[in-house]
Amino acid sequence: MFKKWDIIIIVTLLCISFIPEIVFGIMGKHYNGTYAELTIDGKLYKKINLSEHRGDEQIDIKTSYGENIVEIKDKSIKVIDADCKDKICIRSGFISEPGQIVVCLPHKFMIEIKSSDIMANSLRCLNE
Amino acid sequence: MNKTFRIVFIGLLVSQALALYTIESMIPVPFIAPGAKLGLTNLITVVALYMLNSKKDVFLIIILRLFLSTIFGGNLSTLMYGAVGALLSYYAMIFVKNIEKDKISIIGVSAAGAFFHNVGQLIVASVIVQNIAVTLYLPILSIAGIGTGVFIGVTSNFIVKHMSKLPFFNDLNISQ
Repeated sequence: MFKKWDIIIIVTLLCISFIPEIVFGIMGKHYNGTYAELTIDGKLYKKINLSEHRGDEQIDIKTSYGENIVEIKDKSIKVIDADCKDKICIRSGFISEPGQIVVCLPHKFMIEIKSSDIMANSLRCLNE
Repeated sequence: MNKTFRIVFIGLLVSQALALYTIESMIPVPFIAPGAKLGLTNLITVVALYMLNSKKDVFLIIILRLFLSTIFGGNLSTLMYGAVGALLSYYAMIFVKNIEKDKISIIGVSAAGAFFHNVGQLIVASVIVQNIAVTLYLPILSIAGIGTGVFIGVTSNFIVKHMSKLPFFNDLNISQ
């Protein structure tokens, strides 16, 4: 039932399937994990890698719209203080999962958690 | 092969493919390799490729199967994945079948079809997430795909062997 060329084809295909692996191996590693994107007025202000973050850190963000203080605690991020009126961004609390956002509308300030984890993204995509 | 026979035969193959598709969709997605499927509908494509004279009829079967399976149990994204995968595997199977006519059995053709179906799926996936690194998932998918492809090849080998015994199909190009 099996013929010689079947084996050749199957082995060739298996070898072809490892080409992307080799190409990416040569091109260098791609970082994965979650990161937080801080945007002001739609423009990227800062990108913080969360999955490798340890300990506490506070960032002061002063813009012409106002001031926000952001705290990064291990793998989660939170706005701890803001001089806006409604303080909705503070009440949002800690966020850490990809897709979660904190928005401060008066300051046009937004924190969005994203994931560059290729496997997680592609698997979600394939399962749809 | 007269016109009525052709229409009925294509209709039968499409309906068999749809039945297999429905059965396959009842099988849950394996946890270790999401996106991997048995590829039962490929069985019909391979059988059609070996039993029909014209390649256009095989193409017609694939297109009909794609759209009808979307109506029965699918959505736009399954149509996109299925269409690119099925077309790529169709051309790959024709190519492989024609390289060495007598030296390649159905198993090799079906394994190549399964592999290029996975390649098509990953191309669509990398376009959707806009990240070419999705192709790193190819080895896992292709090992699963080639495995099922071999079994589909063995099965269609039996089908074609038994079909060729029927005097009904004498005028078709059943090569065995």
